[in-house]
Amino acid sequence: MTHQPTTPQFKANARAAIADGGLQEQMTKALANSMAKRAYASGAVPEFDALRDAARDLKNHTLAHLDLYLEEYEAKVQADGGQVHWAETAEDAREIVLGICRAARAKTVNKGKSMISEEIGLNDFLEEKGIAPVETDLGEYIIQLRKETPSHIIGPAIHVTVPQVREAFRKHHPHLPEDRDLEGLDKLLLEARAELRAKYFEAEVGITGANMLIAETGQSVIVTNEGNGDLSQSLPRVHIVIASLEKIVPTLEDASTVLRVLARSATGQEMSVYTTFSAGPRREADPDGPEEYHVVLLDNGRSAMVGTEFQEMLRCIRCGACMNHCPVYRSVGGHAYGWVYPGPMGAVLTPSLIGLKQGGQLPNASTFCGRCEEVCPMRIPLPKMMRHWREREFERQLTPAGTRRGLRFWASAAARPGVYRAAARAAAWGLRLLASGGRVKRLPLGGAWTQARDFPAPEGGTFMDRYRPDADGRRGGAK
Amino acid sequence: MSGRVRILARLRRSLTENAGVTDEDRRAAVDARLRMAGAQTAPVPEIARTEGAAMLERFEAKLRGVDATVTRLPSMDALPGALVEELRARNLPRGIRMGEEPDFEDLDWSGLDASRGVGRLEEPATLSRGLCGVAETGTVALRSGPDNPVTLTFLGETHFMVLKAADVVPGLEEMWARVRRAGPMSRTVNLVTGPSRSADIGQVLQLGAHGPVAVHVFIVED
Repeated sequence: MTHQPTTPQFKANARAAIADGGLQEQMTKALANSMAKRAYASGAVPEFDALRDAARDLKNHTLAHLDLYLEEYEAKVQADGGQVHWAETAEDAREIVLGICRAARAKTVNKGKSMISEEIGLNDFLEEKGIAPVETDLGEYIIQLRKETPSHIIGPAIHVTVPQVREAFRKHHPHLPEDRDLEGLDKLLLEARAELRAKYFEAEVGITGANMLIAETGQSVIVTNEGNGDLSQSLPRVHIVIASLEKIVPTLEDASTVLRVLARSATGQEMSVYTTFSAGPRREADPDGPEEYHVVLLDNGRSAMVGTEFQEMLRCIRCGACMNHCPVYRSVGGHAYGWVYPGPMGAVLTPSLIGLKQGGQLPNASTFCGRCEEVCPMRIPLPKMMRHWREREFERQLTPAGTRRGLRFWASAAARPGVYRAAARAAAWGLRLLASGGRVKRLPLGGAWTQARDFPAPEGGTFMDRYRPDADGRRGGAK
Repeated sequence: MSGRVRILARLRRSLTENAGVTDEDRRAAVDARLRMAGAQTAPVPEIARTEGAAMLERFEAKLRGVDATVTRLPSMDALPGALVEELRARNLPRGIRMGEEPDFEDLDWSGLDASRGVGRLEEPATLSRGLCGVAETGTVALRSGPDNPVTLTFLGETHFMVLKAADVVPGLEEMWARVRRAGPMSRTVNLVTGPSRSADIGQVLQLGAHGPVAVHVFIVED
């Protein structure tokens, strides 16, 4: 389900999320080991950084030749009897999917986990048209029952507590005995498994996303742990792959390089349980598999990113490491970001896809600590690109007037060394006056900071005072 | 069609004219890259370069590390008997579902209710023939087809896979070499690394999400 973006209300969303004790507790629990797992898995491979370099380079090469690789890929899909549909916009993609579903006389559609489906708002659309989408990834199933959007790109339901899952199952599985035992986690899993198992055989169409598309072979690749994506694509008569066009890699060997960094960065696994390479409909001798194979290639603003300072964002393989490591994401959760992609990758991608006016708050929601870039398997310079967005926001006068005035004032002082040094000296003197025991407990204009922690008082003169050599030519002597 | 034309034109404009590269040079670069298919240009990590007994040991250790179980068999003939034992130990009915794999055809299945065909709604136990095992990660690669219906891999509650010791390879590179040698690309190539799992409820990892609850690999030594 995709709702109207609430990204313009990021500040209000974030404030509400921080005040929500239940969410805070759940986020802390859910993300507790995510950083350690990634650190352990990547640390166990001495060549991990070299693999990241190689992954970055192969994707840079692919993006520089994206049009040509897409044509190669398309020809290969067609040679295997599959069809490729090009969608410029989310609306185009929805209509293409609807057309295929209608031709297949589909009443229900099974879905493997797909962020592209969220991006184009496919579920709401299909429902409106009388086709029932069934999310089969356990996390997606839970949030579909709760009528929510994902809060994490690989763990869509990480914000949902166990009692909430129990409540959703009791409400939405009314055909099961009311007094059944749902206490243990295994009971919940078994119930979801049993509910969905029958549905795999009922749907006329199965929709999956794609972690990669291989130009050499025309294959689409899904990487999962549950097996639901494979059941969704193997059992219905029609398989639709929805993928954005930057998912392409040249060869199977390139796919191996991406796989070697993907799972380690995402969940700390060496390899996800199921990595499936699919091409075309069932072969003549095949006893199972779909009879039709369609790929919907979504652009939705990505081709316009090529050739700009945001091109590098198209290397993203959606592992989620950046959000797992982001102090802002970990504090406010995914829903506060207000659209499909949260965390640092969302802060860069969202303004590209829905516009700076709608998404401009997200690149500002960063402490620039740099952890996201440090762990990104594709070495995407996320903080740099957030800075680019801030600059654009300023240039287009989308930044609030108060902030603009402040920035202009600071810039004019910073450009005049004499003024700047005098101001810095005055500030250092002022802070020393306010301090007791080397700490400032209440900072004028900085109350939000000192509410939760002390501000360290300056210990000596300003940097320039200390840097200037004294009469003996020594530096750093000023007291 | 027009969406396709517009998307490609937009990309070409940014990547050719604005980047100061000719289309011919770009085509040559793509052709060269695709001709290199089959050769890894990125570093191959040491964990993907084991050999001989160490490779086989790593494969088994990695399988156990992803919650699969593994036993060695002296020959393919021993497979039906070993399956009966495994099913009994797991308290499962004496039945197995498999494809038209030629290696399974001449075996003595009389001790089991062995049926052939695609996966059905209830499949307590299924059997697949693995193309190769990857020591790097404990992964088994399978090719779909009449000998190996893909639905058996995902619908079996307990999934048995069998492969020969000679089919264990060090890393993903050799795996792709085997896939390429095996003939025209099958509809799917499935890389399976342990039984299915999910941590979507309460962030506690549980085995048996939608696919198999248990995975057992037989390594045939002859």
